[in-house]
This record gives sequence, structure tokens and C-alpha cells, in this order.
Amino acid sequence: MRDEGAGHDRQGRRPVVETEAVAAARIRDGMTIAVGGFINTGHPMAIVRQVIRNRVRDLTVVGAASAGLDVDLLIAAGCAGRVIAPYVGAEGLAPIGPAFQTAAQAGEIEVWELDEAMYYAGLRAAAQGLPFNPWRAGVGTSYPEVNPDLVEFDDPVRGERLLAVPAIEVDVALLHAARSDVFGNVQHNGTGYGDRAIYAAADLTVVSVERLVSVEEIRRSPAATTVPGADAVVRAPFGAHPFSSDGHYPVDVSALQEYVTAARALRDGDRGPVERYLETYVYEPETHLDYLERVGLKRLLALSEY
Amino acid sequence: MTAEATPKEIMACVIARDLADGEWVEVGANLPVPRAGALLAHLHHGPNMNVMLAMTKAWVHDQPAIEDFEFITDVRAMRWAEAYYEHDRLLSNMRFRRKGVFFCGGIEIDRFGNSNLIGVGADHRRLAFRGPGAIGTCNATVYNGRYHLVTTSHSRRVLVERCSFVSALGFGDGAPGLRERLKLPGAGPRYIITPLCVFDFDPDTNAARLKSLNPGVTLEQVREQTGFEFLAPREPPATQPPTEEELNILRTRIDRAGALRR
Repeated sequence: MRDEGAGHDRQGRRPVVETEAVAAARIRDGMTIAVGGFINTGHPMAIVRQVIRNRVRDLTVVGAASAGLDVDLLIAAGCAGRVIAPYVGAEGLAPIGPAFQTAAQAGEIEVWELDEAMYYAGLRAAAQGLPFNPWRAGVGTSYPEVNPDLVEFDDPVRGERLLAVPAIEVDVALLHAARSDVFGNVQHNGTGYGDRAIYAAADLTVVSVERLVSVEEIRRSPAATTVPGADAVVRAPFGAHPFSSDGHYPVDVSALQEYVTAARALRDGDRGPVERYLETYVYEPETHLDYLERVGLKRLLALSEY
Repeated sequence: MTAEATPKEIMACVIARDLADGEWVEVGANLPVPRAGALLAHLHHGPNMNVMLAMTKAWVHDQPAIEDFEFITDVRAMRWAEAYYEHDRLLSNMRFRRKGVFFCGGIEIDRFGNSNLIGVGADHRRLAFRGPGAIGTCNATVYNGRYHLVTTSHSRRVLVERCSFVSALGFGDGAPGLRERLKLPGAGPRYIITPLCVFDFDPDTNAARLKSLNPGVTLEQVREQTGFEFLAPREPPATQPPTEEELNILRTRIDRAGALRR
């Protein structure tokens, strides 16, 4: 993906388009990554699969406010040591992420327990360069007990009992969106869910997009730009597959079910099906395009939102 | 004549009748019964209600049928949007929630109206059963004007004496005035709505008590399947069954696929 827009005089302006391999090389053992999207939509799977392919270990994985099986897959592949997410699952398809559930019960991952308001409070504290954000909901619950990093305190202004939610500082944010120009001006279709909050809390942001577009197209609707400064943009059509990508394609339900079936065997202590899934869809395909070839053109093009 | 109402249809009607025109109702993911109840109120008596549907603020009062989609993020449901629910701006919109009504589930719900979505077990690091996580229930049960606890599984496993962990605070250990002392803006849970009955909460003890039995259900059956002790009137009233009009709206406009009839 080189020389997009070649022939134009950029006057030294640097494009940020990268392959998923180059973009994901930023992610190393022990880092904190955040993965955007929302339950069954908008996860940057081309990049997530590359992270798994790189066999990165001991990550703190910050999921979406409601994370999906993207986080579950990272757990199943052994990449995650700690998970920060108010929910991991796939609605009716898998009300609780199977690998998340199994690994948490076995003590193989640490779950930094929180709800979605604490999630945004923590991201906001990071975005603001503050040690914590105060929040009210959570006082009187089990949260400070199950997550000792959440501290109840008396506010110095009104003397009310509040919760201090520590900053959730993200090394690399991984997002998926509809389009970007080559300079990292990213636009989502729809609201983008929590992606802007993740971007604001991260040191670096890598975004996979369905389409690369001209700067002129971005300039036609600057109010639609959600991430005005991605550090890297990866061109990845069908990059959220098997999840949906708003305005492009719906959930590939049978493909997600294939994963759910494989991951549910973990409950019986059987890693075989998940290993075969990872071989087939993650390790063997060397690139995102290889992955799409494995899924198959007919199946991809059969996905339609209406 | 319409066929007899199912337990889930009765639950949807209980929810709908409690909702008043002009209220804001938020429907979360994977909750077919509260979705149906909120939409029933909107179509039946709520032309000024605002229903938060599929991550949007929608108004569907004039729609012949409201298709039910498998996932909350399905963009086909966003065609009714008058505004998006901007999830990343969640924290900045708490003041309006006083007008709101919310529905909270739980892998455990206890007699003081606390809910648990974290997990079951003594040690959080080695749970016997890992739950899905609280999603937004901790927050929404604090800031919304009121809420209902809803479960489609009335069993001793779900309706317990005390939750293993509390992820959404009801009335805590029942001591009076807890929510006021903590300055929680919302009034707390009003009902526990199940396929068998409706509980409300005693204003003095904050403990769940039987309000009404769903048609065909006996008090013995509820006691048998409930994991906490509760007070009940000597002759418990029956939950009012759905009217023909309510059932008709449910089956022809809200739940054509029959999620509540399975």
C-alpha cells in the first residue's frame, strides 16, 4: 500500500498508510492495548489477527465498553494476561465469552473489574492526564472489593462519598472505521461507539479502514472526522470480519458461530478445536488478504446489510 | 380470539403498564422482554415516550411493525433514529437520566434488590461461575429515576438471599436510607418481574414482597422456586393478564418473530 495519491505534491506531508504487519509490530509483550468496536461490530480484526500471529504475550487488553469475541479470541490465543472490560460476549450468540469465562475461572487471566461508566471515567482520566476521575455509581457495591484499584473517598467540596477511578492509560489503540485519507484523518459511519474515547486515552492509534479516500472527500465533511490523527492507517476491506462494519456489511453469523463452537470446548478442557480455529484463520493466512481468500469471495460478497 | 398469553408476554405487559407517556426508556442488548415492554408502552399509550433503541433515540409510534434484530448494533434498526446514543459521551449525560426508566438483569438478584453480573463464588480471582460483567447496570441503576429487575429465569439459583457480589446496588443490606446517604439520584428498584410473579419492595424493610401472581401460578410454586423468604398477602392478587389489544400489538407489531412465544 505505497504511494497512495502519487503524483500530488504533498509538500513533505507524510502519509501514514502501513500494512497490518508493520502497524502491529508496535505491539510488544506486556503492553496495554485497547480494541475498539462494540459487541459484534467494528473490531479491527485484521490487526488483532496479526497481533495473535506475532505471538505477543502478557498484554493488558482494554476491550470496548461492551467488548466482543475479539477480546475472547485474544484470550483464547494466550495473548492476554489482564482484561479490562465491563462485558465480554456476543449477545444471544454467546452471552458470556467462552474463553473469557474459562480463563477467568481458572485464574489464567486477571479481570480488572469495572462497569461502563468507570470504563469511560478511566479513559477520560488518561485523556486528561489526571491520576483518576471521580464517579458516583459503584459506591456501596462490591467493586472496590473485587478491584482494589477503585478507591472510595470523601470529596473535598461537598463531602460526598465517591469512587476514584484510576486512569486507564493505553499504549496502542486498535480501531476499525469506514474510511481515512492517507494522512490518518479517520471517519466512522454512525457514532463510532466508544472509539473516540479510546483514541483520546492512547499514546498511539492504529486504525484499519474499509476504504482509503482522498483528502478532498474528508474535507467535504470535516465534522464527520472522528480520529483526526491516527498514527497508522491500514487499508483492510472486510477488516472487521466476522463482525459487522457499519455501513459496509453485517455480522457473518455462521463464521462467528464457528469460533463460539470451538471456544466452548475450552470449558471441557479441550484446546483442540480452538487451536484448529487459530491455525485455519489466524496462523496459516500470512496476511489479511490471505485470510479473506480463506473465508472466500462468495461468502464475503454474500454478506449484505439489507 | 387470541391464544393465551405466554409468561414472557405477561412480563412485557407488566413493564408496559408501569411506563408513562413522556418517559425515556433505555433498552439494552439481548433483552427481548424489556424491549417488547418498552415498545408496547410506546405504541399503546406513549406517543411522547422516547425509546433508546439499537443505540439510538427512536420514535416508532407510527410504524406498522418494528422488526426485531439479533444484535443491538444492527444498522437496519438505526433507520428510526432521531439521534444517536453517543456512547463515548455517556458520562456527560447523567442529569437527563432522572426522567429515565431502566431494566436490570442479573445472574443473581437478592431479596434487597441487589443484582450481580460479576460472578458466583467466594473468591473473585477464582470464581466458580464467571458472569458476563456488569455492562452499564451499575451506573444506570444509580442515575435513572427508577428501574425494574427483570429475569426470565425464576429459580433459587437466580433469586438468592444475598448476591455473591453486588454489581448494581439496590437497597444494600436493607438498612433504611442507604441510597439517600450515598446521594444516589435514582429511587432504586421498583419491581422484580419474573415469569411467575411480580415482587415489589416493603418501604420499611426494603425486602422483596409478593405483589401479584401471574395467571395459573400458585404461591407454593413461587416459594418453592425462590431462594429468599418473602412476605405475601394471604390472598395474593393475580397479575392482570394482557388485554386483547395489548396481545395484538405485541404479536403483530413488536414481536412478529415470536421471541416471547418461545
